[in-house]
Amino acid sequence: MDVIAPVRVQIEGLSRRFVHRVKGEVYAARDVTLDVAPGEFLTLLGPSGCGKTTTLRMIAGFEKPDAGRVLFAGEDVTYLPANQRNIGFVFQNYALFPHLSVAENVAYGLEMRSIAKAEIGKRVAEVLELVGLRGYEHQFSSQMSGGEQQRVALARAIVIRPRVLLFDEPLSNLDAKLRVQMRDEIRDLQRRLGITTIYVTHDQEEAMAVSDRIVVMNQGSVLAVGTAHELYHRPGSEFVARFIGRVNLVPAKVKEVLLESIRVEALGAVVEVGMAPRVAVGDEVRLVLRPEAIVVTPAVAVTPAKAGAQGGELDPRLRGNDNAHWTAKVASRVFLGEKMEYRLDCAGISLHIVRYNAGPAEVLEEGATVGLRVIESAVSLLPKEGV
Amino acid sequence: MTLSPALPQGGGRRVDPAVAVTAVILWALLGLFILYPLGMMLYRVLSDGQGGFTLSGLATVLTNKHNIRAFWNSLLLAALVGSIGTVLGFLFAFTAARARLPAWLLMVIDAAVLLPLVSPPFTTAIGMIFSFGPRGLITYELLGLKGVTVYGLTSTMFSEVLTYFPIAYLTLRPILAAIDSNIEGMAMSLGASRWKVFTTVTLPLCVPGIANAFLLLFAASLADFATPLILAGNVFPVLPTQAYLQITGLFDLRGGAALSLALLFPALAVFLLQRYWVGRRQHVTVTGKGAGSTPFDSISPGARVALLTFCASVTIIVLYFYALLLYASLVMAFGANHTFTLTHYRVVFGEGMRAVKDTLFIAAIAMPLGGLYGLLLGYLVAKKDFVGKRSMEMVSMINYALPGTIVGIAYLIAFNDPPIELTGTALIIIACYIFRYGPTGIRATIALLSQIDKSLEEASAGLGAGSSTTFRRITLPLVLPAFFAGLGVVFIRSMTAISATIFLVSLSWTLVTVKILENMTELALGPAAAFSVLVVVIVFVVIGLIGWVLRFFRAGSMRVTSILGG
Repeated sequence: MDVIAPVRVQIEGLSRRFVHRVKGEVYAARDVTLDVAPGEFLTLLGPSGCGKTTTLRMIAGFEKPDAGRVLFAGEDVTYLPANQRNIGFVFQNYALFPHLSVAENVAYGLEMRSIAKAEIGKRVAEVLELVGLRGYEHQFSSQMSGGEQQRVALARAIVIRPRVLLFDEPLSNLDAKLRVQMRDEIRDLQRRLGITTIYVTHDQEEAMAVSDRIVVMNQGSVLAVGTAHELYHRPGSEFVARFIGRVNLVPAKVKEVLLESIRVEALGAVVEVGMAPRVAVGDEVRLVLRPEAIVVTPAVAVTPAKAGAQGGELDPRLRGNDNAHWTAKVASRVFLGEKMEYRLDCAGISLHIVRYNAGPAEVLEEGATVGLRVIESAVSLLPKEGV
Repeated sequence: MTLSPALPQGGGRRVDPAVAVTAVILWALLGLFILYPLGMMLYRVLSDGQGGFTLSGLATVLTNKHNIRAFWNSLLLAALVGSIGTVLGFLFAFTAARARLPAWLLMVIDAAVLLPLVSPPFTTAIGMIFSFGPRGLITYELLGLKGVTVYGLTSTMFSEVLTYFPIAYLTLRPILAAIDSNIEGMAMSLGASRWKVFTTVTLPLCVPGIANAFLLLFAASLADFATPLILAGNVFPVLPTQAYLQITGLFDLRGGAALSLALLFPALAVFLLQRYWVGRRQHVTVTGKGAGSTPFDSISPGARVALLTFCASVTIIVLYFYALLLYASLVMAFGANHTFTLTHYRVVFGEGMRAVKDTLFIAAIAMPLGGLYGLLLGYLVAKKDFVGKRSMEMVSMINYALPGTIVGIAYLIAFNDPPIELTGTALIIIACYIFRYGPTGIRATIALLSQIDKSLEEASAGLGAGSSTTFRRITLPLVLPAFFAGLGVVFIRSMTAISATIFLVSLSWTLVTVKILENMTELALGPAAAFSVLVVVIVFVVIGLIGWVLRFFRAGSMRVTSILGG
């Protein structure tokens, strides 16, 4: 298939209200502003009811906003009906026409564009080949598996060479293995065709796997926009930190503000943090510690007396080359094959860490006392709770 | 098509002009053929002739001892038929859904159960007379009894139960089939015996369906005119026949109308109860992933044998009645001279031919119009937003819900005189059929549209189709099964109905069912049987044709037989 000249999509102050029976007037989308670069794969991520689907449907033209604009390549399409926007939409339930065959479903959009019959046949065959459904032309959706139906829906959306490709939780009806396979296929196809794509999902892993950039939404508003890396390492808010990946939030107090870093005191130890918002000495903050940013080490930096009080000798099998910030006790563990997840008790705070499987000898026993060291370069700060 | 629907959109309540025009036309028709006749009938009963209001007309009729008896008789008969028919229907439905019958046996049961639903009136009544009458096959020939009277409550009830229990079967079978067998399996795994599972899980889940079936049967029996006319006799008068005799025997139109009004209140109460109370109480037992083909032994082998024996007996009785009907149409005089003859069919295709042609003509006109009416009104009510759409749906159901006797008398009163004089025309019969039986199509359309996900129309719009193209290419093909099903019901009823149209036939237009009645009253049972056989054959051919057409549409699994029940 030909590569389509990519289109920039701008969304400016898009809002949509509705009246809820209990809560009264509620915003399904509130002042949503986004700028999607030509050919970009942008994902709207958030819990159910966060407004991501409403936003997508307004971009598609299935719903009208109460305020704001939608622009395709600079052209205002806010009030253009969906059938004149030239979009490709993939629905969660696929929405295949049950009375039409696979080929007829795919040809439908081309017929709407009054394309010659021979050309339609050629393009349908081409796109079915592309999604791996050659030979399925005369099947009906009721005879196909979920994954196959998903491919038909995808073929039907891209065959019209849309300006924008829109996905509404397209993988949520598939089983876990197929979901991973399909998301990779969608990503490859999008790269190859270069169509500007907006994708809605509530699954953060899926979002991280497919997107160039992720938009985190909650209660109708955009909370953060960035690449998976940016959002993971500098979430900027507790909601984003908790929604993308797993996180330990540890209360801390700013001790010293240096030129390029900050020293904070957390759980009795001093941690030096590189990435930090503007803070002053004495501020209460929280450390954002991803499970893999805390490593287990045998050496103990805190006073030996304190370590002894926490539960005796350290496990001699532990190897490390740095001092520990804290000591902690292994409370529970979950073996997941390539990794082991631990829940640790550290000065009354529960910490969650991950260790990749380096053989049976490296396993920490429940009840063992270990030293913990924070990988300082992977830590960021959040303001105190409730701020 | 006059419709060019806009896509369903969030806020706007702008009314599409095409929708507005269609709604206005439909309201005009509803007003003319439903509200106006009913109003005229009320006026005739309640007016004192000088523009005043009086209850004297109603009082005269309703204080008559004979009529009071008829009122209570009607309720008694309906209650009995409702209870027994529901039990019968439930046992059949339970056997079909749980006994794991081979496919061919299910088909036999389905066919036997379908027969009474699509038969002309009097069919079981004729069978009763042939079997239990003074010269009946069973009473006279087999048992040698003499001077037996078949007329009265028992035989009327028996005949009506056989005629109407399939409604209960068709109502209850999908409900039983929809109960996730995991739920029953769960109860069993918790330690309940099969009988306990049945009484604590299966039966309670069916209660709304059972109530629904009872009310449907109650209403059907309350409105039944043909069976009691033949079998109830003078010993057991009921309201529909009393109203008919008041008009045709005593030429007292006002009295007949007043009598039929007495029928209106219980009929309306039952209908409202059924639609707005029981109808909303269905349990949803399909929880996530269904059990699929998971086998589950919900009945013991002994119970299975008992159920099968019972259903087989009832099925044999039904089939026996129809065999009797066919046999009687082929012999000189049943009970007296059993020589084979085609005389009765010569009558049917000779002097009876006019009635056959008239009936087919009327059915052929009413069928497409009724189907279109059902499709348009159903589509409008289900998909469009306009003022008064709830009341439009309600009004459209009135003639369907009311006993035919009331509708017939109302039409007779309303269209006998100017400004709208239709008596004696085919139009009055056609209109009666469209507005009385079209609602089946309306309900089928609404049901089908509610299954069609909104995303289908959005997908079409997203692919560039305009709203009229979406309607033509997506929505219409998907609701066509409802159209054909509705059409089929109008045709079947046009061939078999009598309670309303008995008042509307004339010298120029008559019907096969009326012909059957004439023959019955003249005791010409042979031609009556031959006419009945002909109707059954025509109806079966048409059902077959519609089934064949429906097979071309992949959406849904609409069957004519499945909507005959509701």
